Amino acid sequence: MSGLGAGLAADVAADVAADVAAVVTIARKDLLQEVRSRAVTVATLFFSAVTLVMMAFAMGQDAELLRRSAPGVLWVALAFAGVITAAQSYQSDLEEGAFDQLLLYPVPRASVFLGKLLANWLFLLALGLLMTPVTLVLYGAPAGPSAWLLPVTLMLGTLGFAVVATFYAALTANLQAREALLPVLMFPVVVPVLLGAVRSSEALIGLQNTVLAGGWLQLLAAFDLVYFVACTAVFHLVVEE
Amino acid sequence: MSQRHEAPARPRWLRMLGLSTLILFGVGAYLALAVSPPDVNQGQLIRMMYAHVSVAWVSFVAVIVTALYGMAFLWRGRPVDDARAVANAEIATFFAALTLVSGMTYSKPTLNTWWTWDAKLTLTALMFALLVGYFVVRGLIDDPTRRGRVSAVIGVIVAVSLPFNYLAAAWFRTLHPTLSVAVTGVTMAPIMLVVLLFNVGVAALVYLTFVSERVRIARLEHARLETRERREGDTPGEVVRV
Repeated sequence: MSGLGAGLAADVAADVAADVAAVVTIARKDLLQEVRSRAVTVATLFFSAVTLVMMAFAMGQDAELLRRSAPGVLWVALAFAGVITAAQSYQSDLEEGAFDQLLLYPVPRASVFLGKLLANWLFLLALGLLMTPVTLVLYGAPAGPSAWLLPVTLMLGTLGFAVVATFYAALTANLQAREALLPVLMFPVVVPVLLGAVRSSEALIGLQNTVLAGGWLQLLAAFDLVYFVACTAVFHLVVEE
Repeated sequence: MSQRHEAPARPRWLRMLGLSTLILFGVGAYLALAVSPPDVNQGQLIRMMYAHVSVAWVSFVAVIVTALYGMAFLWRGRPVDDARAVANAEIATFFAALTLVSGMTYSKPTLNTWWTWDAKLTLTALMFALLVGYFVVRGLIDDPTRRGRVSAVIGVIVAVSLPFNYLAAAWFRTLHPTLSVAVTGVTMAPIMLVVLLFNVGVAALVYLTFVSERVRIARLEHARLETRERREGDTPGEVVRV
């Protein structure tokens, strides 16, 4: 290998390392801010808990109905939590004018998106890992023999929500009525994620044939991959300077 | 409001296109309502299918074209590409609404329900919701360049979401089997297929006519705006809308 080629490879590696460092730094900043203020944690935790209880009341005393609806309720609660998380991650930056500063950093815009995405995803994943056992207990759903695979569904499902929510939250961050607009824009796009996550959760806790879970998980993975690449690529076009 | 401007006349080809579309629309309606024989199973109700399938196909074509012109706008930044994308999105929204309404009217007597979670119907409903979002966001952004960019991105997302939504809706249905009619060309009588294809062609002409007219109006608006901007110079606080 020539010295020039090796030098170029080293340059590219250094660039990638710098971008990854920027992504981690931004994610760390968002998570640290959340650890200190706990604004989103409190909001989403209570929101999810209230959703679970409200849905249980709405559906009544039928134990079988409750058991069967557990995955659906869990994922609807997570979808709404995803909206709150993503909207807040831009709002707290915009309020103090910090978002403009963030955009001025000499890193690609995609790093800002990926950093916020990483923070939102980790947050949603933690929320999902916390809410899943609560839902199963509250709704009397069985934890079937394949339930140990549920974290895989949670990872893929929350990633799908987080990608689309983080992207659309950037798009709507400066618009009027953004609180109402974000779910309206986001939910028709994440329907495949909702369906895939609910169906594979159903299969994994033993309410459906386990064979079905594989196909839905593949759909989730494909969705995540396509939207991850597409949203990262066009993020710089929608963010307002 | 204050003064009337003389708008340039509609070009000859567009008038001819509109006129022939109108005539052919009448012919298509006659073929569907009078010439086509009643269906073996559905009787006279089959006549609704000609309208339903035609507008459905055209709405999906218009969504793809919206995404393509959106990409062209992102690439070259010419306002006319944004205008073309919007024209297509408007037709797509209207035809998607027609598809939903005709689909529901069609499924009530044939399947005895207003709404089936059929993959194609679900897909159309989601696409309609996404297109409404496209226009809501457009209405909230004042800067023409940013508005064009953001709506181009949303247009592309609408097109990208179609295969995922279709797959999810199709699998969703296989887990909850419902009644469904498979209207495919293979099982259709030749005369019916001819009538259907004729009506699809008419719907495509309607689409072409309205998109051309809409792009023409958008260009006039753009030209008017530019002359006004030149005349008023650098009036501060002017909100510009295309």
